[in-house]
Amino acid sequence: MDSESIETFYSAESALSSSSRRSNFSIRSKASGRNSIREVNFGDLGSKAVRYGSRGADSETYSLNMSQKEINDEDARLVHINDPVQTNERFEFSGNSIRTGKYSILTFLPRNLFEQFHRVAYIYFLVIAVLNQLPQLAVFGRGVSILPLAFVLLVTAVKDAYEDYRRHRSDRIENNRLASVLVNDQFQQKKWKNIEVGEIIKIYANETIPCDMVLFSTSDPTGVAYVQTINLDGESNLKTRYAKQETLVKIPEKDKLDGLIKCEKPNRNIYGFQANMEVDGKRLSLGPSNIILRGCELKNTAWAVGVAVYAGRETKVMLNSSGAPSKRSRLETHMNLEIIFLSLFLIALCTVVSVCAAVWLRRHRDELDYLPFYRRKNFSDDGEENYNYSGWGLEICFTFLMSVIVFQVMIPISLYISMELVRVGQAYFMVRDTQMYDESSNSRFQCRALNINEDLGQIKYVFSDKTGTLTENKMEFQCASIWGVDYSGGKAISLDQKDGYFVKVDGKVLRPKMKVKTDPELLQLARNGKETEEGSHVHDFFLALAACNTIVPLIIDSHDPNVKLIDYQGESPDEQALVYAAASYGFMLIERTSGHIMIDIQGERRRFNVLGLHEFDSDRKRMSVILGFPDKSVKVFVKGADTSMFSVVDRYMNKNVIRTTEAHLYSYSSLGLRTLVVGMRDLSTSEFEEWHSAFEVASTALMGRASLLRKVASNIENNLCILGASGIEDKLQQGVPEAIESLRTAGIKVWVLTGDKQETAISIGYSSKLLTSKMTQIIINSRSKESCRKSLEDAVIMSKKLTTISDTTNDTGGTSRAGLTPAALIIDGTSLVYILDSELEESLFQLACDCSVVLCCRVAPLQKAGIVALVKKRTADMTLAIGDGANDVSMIQMADVGVGISGQEGRQAVMASDFAMGQFRFLVPLLLVHGHWNYQRMGYMVLYNFYRNAVFVLVLFWYVLFTCFSLTTAITEWSSVLYSIIYTSLPTIVIGILDKDLSRRSLLKYPQLYGAGQRQECYNKKLFWITMIDTLWQSAVAFFIPLLAYWSSTIDASSIGDLWTLAVVILVNLHLAMDVMRWNWLTHAAIWGSIIATFICVIIIDSLPFLVGYWAIFEIAKTGLFWLCLLAIIVAALIPRFVVKVLYQLYVPSDVQIVRETEKFQTQTESGAVEIELSSILDTPRR
Amino acid sequence: MDANGATTSSAAGGGSNSKSSAKKNSRKPKYSRFTQQELPACKPVLTPGLVITTFTIIGIIFIPLGLVSLSASEHVVEIVDRYDDSCVPPNYSNDKLKFIQTADTNKSCVRILSVPKLMKKPIYIYYQLDNYYQNHRRYVKSRSDQQLRSKSGEKDVSDCSPEDRTKNGPIVPCGLVAWSLFNDTYGFSLDSKTIRVNKHDIAWKSDKDHKFGNDVYPKNFQTGGLIGGAKLNSSLPLSEQEALMVWMRTAALPTFRKLYGKIEEDLPANKKIQVVIQNNYNTYSFGGKKKLVLSTTSWMGGKNDFLGIAYIVVGGLCLFLAVFFILLYVIKPRPLGDPSYLSWNKSPSGQPN
Repeated sequence: MDSESIETFYSAESALSSSSRRSNFSIRSKASGRNSIREVNFGDLGSKAVRYGSRGADSETYSLNMSQKEINDEDARLVHINDPVQTNERFEFSGNSIRTGKYSILTFLPRNLFEQFHRVAYIYFLVIAVLNQLPQLAVFGRGVSILPLAFVLLVTAVKDAYEDYRRHRSDRIENNRLASVLVNDQFQQKKWKNIEVGEIIKIYANETIPCDMVLFSTSDPTGVAYVQTINLDGESNLKTRYAKQETLVKIPEKDKLDGLIKCEKPNRNIYGFQANMEVDGKRLSLGPSNIILRGCELKNTAWAVGVAVYAGRETKVMLNSSGAPSKRSRLETHMNLEIIFLSLFLIALCTVVSVCAAVWLRRHRDELDYLPFYRRKNFSDDGEENYNYSGWGLEICFTFLMSVIVFQVMIPISLYISMELVRVGQAYFMVRDTQMYDESSNSRFQCRALNINEDLGQIKYVFSDKTGTLTENKMEFQCASIWGVDYSGGKAISLDQKDGYFVKVDGKVLRPKMKVKTDPELLQLARNGKETEEGSHVHDFFLALAACNTIVPLIIDSHDPNVKLIDYQGESPDEQALVYAAASYGFMLIERTSGHIMIDIQGERRRFNVLGLHEFDSDRKRMSVILGFPDKSVKVFVKGADTSMFSVVDRYMNKNVIRTTEAHLYSYSSLGLRTLVVGMRDLSTSEFEEWHSAFEVASTALMGRASLLRKVASNIENNLCILGASGIEDKLQQGVPEAIESLRTAGIKVWVLTGDKQETAISIGYSSKLLTSKMTQIIINSRSKESCRKSLEDAVIMSKKLTTISDTTNDTGGTSRAGLTPAALIIDGTSLVYILDSELEESLFQLACDCSVVLCCRVAPLQKAGIVALVKKRTADMTLAIGDGANDVSMIQMADVGVGISGQEGRQAVMASDFAMGQFRFLVPLLLVHGHWNYQRMGYMVLYNFYRNAVFVLVLFWYVLFTCFSLTTAITEWSSVLYSIIYTSLPTIVIGILDKDLSRRSLLKYPQLYGAGQRQECYNKKLFWITMIDTLWQSAVAFFIPLLAYWSSTIDASSIGDLWTLAVVILVNLHLAMDVMRWNWLTHAAIWGSIIATFICVIIIDSLPFLVGYWAIFEIAKTGLFWLCLLAIIVAALIPRFVVKVLYQLYVPSDVQIVRETEKFQTQTESGAVEIELSSILDTPRR
Repeated sequence: MDANGATTSSAAGGGSNSKSSAKKNSRKPKYSRFTQQELPACKPVLTPGLVITTFTIIGIIFIPLGLVSLSASEHVVEIVDRYDDSCVPPNYSNDKLKFIQTADTNKSCVRILSVPKLMKKPIYIYYQLDNYYQNHRRYVKSRSDQQLRSKSGEKDVSDCSPEDRTKNGPIVPCGLVAWSLFNDTYGFSLDSKTIRVNKHDIAWKSDKDHKFGNDVYPKNFQTGGLIGGAKLNSSLPLSEQEALMVWMRTAALPTFRKLYGKIEEDLPANKKIQVVIQNNYNTYSFGGKKKLVLSTTSWMGGKNDFLGIAYIVVGGLCLFLAVFFILLYVIKPRPLGDPSYLSWNKSPSGQPN
């Protein structure tokens, strides 16, 4: 019971067969003891990633078990082959023209506006602008108040329009491509957009497939077609697709083709398809291997004919074109709290103004009629009416609303736009970083999510996949155990086999593309043929390796015209490694069709009939192939994970071999090798016949085809005779140990979650320096809930003990570093089944936090997400998940930041990720350098923007107190609007993109500096409040110095308004200048340029004779008092901040501060040493 | 030999071809100091020297500036005389409003001002109003700059209500600001000899040239139900009505001065000046004060000690801070950039080791 359920959780990391990823894509796992079924839906990126609870009946569920369902008539689409008219008669299938553009010329304006106003900030803008249009409340001129909103809307609209134009253009190109379509029994060229469902289409080699179609026949006599799906999922290897035998023989032009295909409704699952086809009265079932999808390219096949079943927007590729899920950064979440506070502050200001206004109106209620500056009564007409006065209560309301309009910039709307621009800039630099460019895969860093850049600076936990992430996922055959004999001497490649194995065909040399090191002894045995018993086992072993797979050999030209290379294309890197290994030992797979394979055995071509193939699935964890030998004997070869293989091996045969093989397996996996066991069995004719009929029944079954096939496979895969085992090395990526060391020093906890075996995981842990010999390993490896509980309790006690011991050594010794508890937790997926989602979670979390390393092995994709959730739920710390395969998708989506490795395995991880890169070690520059910078910049920018707007609002507010609370602004309305658009916006954006507190070198030299982000040093409540107090002081200085200097003087409102405008702008820009840490020419240009631009703008505004303040700036600038005021304001306002800053830096210096000083004074002396240290992480040399 | 050479060269060519194509396909970001964020930059660090120098320099600049401003302010001779209360005859002292609103009361009032010090020409005559909110929203909005500029804008009175139009057409100049034009007048005499008051060039030149049109003549002004202030000579274009221009430059603060005229002769010390005031302007309804101000001027305007004091205070503070930081650095220095101060280099007890 237990072991059975455990099997389902075994991840397919150790997967062997072609369908490994396919099965990973959707895993249904039944947890024992509980009947709930969990389901992970990876493909549906737009929607919620993980769903709990019982399975819904929606057609978008991607399950292997789809085939168990009968297609109901209402769920099906009926396609009449070669009869598009009838096909489209009853059903409204979409045509093949696609429209990715969002808008047409007519709908652009309303739809674009509608979409833009989804942002709350814009609604706020709009409400303010609308309020201002009411004559009672018109504070600003109509044009002025609309300007900022119009500006933002216009910029966004232009951007959207341009993007949409590009989409339309590419749509047009796409729709007008040509394809051969069967019309009146002849293939004619037809534009893609005119293709209809039901039509028969012929595709030639290297052409792109115009719509999803069911294969009919191909140039290959066995009906095989190879397609490249790089546009679909990014995988560059070839996939095989098959035409049905029944349709293969038909020639579309001559034989009248007709029939009915009944297939499922369009859905997004690119790895699933289910249909059946009635041709000539026969009912055939169709699966994912019979369909070729739009966007794929036909390769290595001269032509292929198929019938269109899904067209246009109903094709799988179009249904899958959705973006990455959007996340919101931690900083922004915190910021939103502060914005709420600012809103409250805004309301408070407005309340103060309106209450004061109310009191003033009440106290002067008798005088209002005649007050020269109020004049409530209108005497000019006959009746003495109230002029523009709506009663005391309403006036107060209006005052409140007007003050909201005047003080609107308190909520820094421009901040949202600046943040977006800054993130784009930061992304630009991250993408352009030469140190995050991967030479081997020619891939740059990718920023897929643009709104969580700053989260990279606050990561506390890194969850890493192992295969393909820590390791290269370039499998290399290392050693084999054949018939109980270990051959692992292949370390040295002797000179004579430098060229590896090759065969000669028609005078041309055929050679595998990749060379594998070989064991000379084994090579000799293999060459000797199967005369000896040993030789015969070796022969069978390599035959199994060469045959039992889904690899497609491709013959490609090389530089030398006499030499051709064989490239083995396949979906599993393990299989590739095995086939290359077999080729090196003289068992070269040369040709594969669906019916037979051609293997060159020591220079002799042999043809084997492939009678049956059971593909890999995650339940069986093995695959098998049934070969008909030239001598008419039939054998089944099976290859699989050791656990699953030993359960089907005939235990009573060759006990010694089994025992020694097990021992070898153990030693291989402790070396960090991935192991596979190979077995075989002869089939008698009756057995074969029995299997054959069962297989036929199962493979055409409409109900539960997959489980039937699995059953058939299990029946034949038993009583096997073990041939041996292989050990494949999965090499560590370059720089991984150093990177992990750096991350750990930076205070980031690295957890490795892998589907591999425990021994493999531990050995990789050692080689990647995750584990050290000093650490105490706590291993939890339980098979029941009770034992889990017990081992957890023991482990907690143990880790407590370790912690106290290390504490005491600290006290006595004083030299050992604090916080280093040398404990490592190693836990396997089976135990996690009992722990996750139960009350034991809490103690696991406690334990995991005490340990410095956590290694989870044998975990299923869903469990990976569960572990991330375990940490995410219980701490406020940021989590990052990094992985490369489809099985990491759930984890990547669950974590705060998801990083995809664009490596060997497919693109699903990248598609689901927020950031994608080529190598694990790039995590170090990404987090320690860019993350640190992004966080520091963004944190500062947010604070500064709050300050900048609040200073301006407060200056306006102070003035309102001296105008009978009537909301007059001395600063012209144009300046109020331009303040956040022109006067002060650019420097903060430039600083947000370019400022660096520390150089890359220092950040990498002292990874501990990363702690600044983890401790939220750049943006927190305390800083916010300090900033706000500073703001209050600065605004008071900026306002009251001119007020007192010009009290009872002839100063007019426009002139003093200009003084205030300039004072505030210079003040905020110098405030920024004071905090700039690196002055390059762009910074200089932005800051001084802004001040100059402000002067120019003020001069222009004051040169317009129709405005009140005509010539004011020239009049006031003539006086010395003006300049004295400016100087006094700036110095007096900035002194407190400067003093506090100096005191802080002197007596509570942050680490960043100290290293900055070090950088400044000691750069030359130490730089050389650092170069060497870092060179392992940063392979690109500095210029 | 030849064949050999050919093959090698072709091989080499092929090699370079493939190499260049690989380079073309490479997505490796181009190296530039900008994209690698390595632009040459200055990295200021607040060293003790820099901090102390900054404070000292500010102190050294500010204190003299403060002293100069103070002395400039000291040299300004200013006579301020509040006359709103005293210019109301005793029989009206309980109902000042009635006094000012009744048309036939005698508004003349004589004030004697004594000159404390020699006042060098030019001497500026201001009227100062207190508690008068010329910056009230209703007030500042109630004007039409279009109308003031040219005749064509005459009908542009939409913002001017309640003083926008009469039955005879639009008011020029319209609006509350013009309507409430100050109308007290002052006549000065020294030793019963009239002192000439120059009322020209009291407004900004820019206002005369561009803002107030020379083809705009007052119309229907002060003919409404309530008279707010001075009337204008309707035969003079607005570009010559300087008192109006001064008034229309609305004051920023509730206590303000407006230039009335200039006396272009020196006033000797200890002399008595007789001022005849026509006390017409109503500030009694809202408790506003009216003052007459005679003042000489300095390079920094009128008499105001505030800025001088502010400069001395800030300068003094900076010098104090400079000394304070010198002491701090002497008593408790921290070597800059010493890695032993890094948090991870300190032992838990807080001692750098």
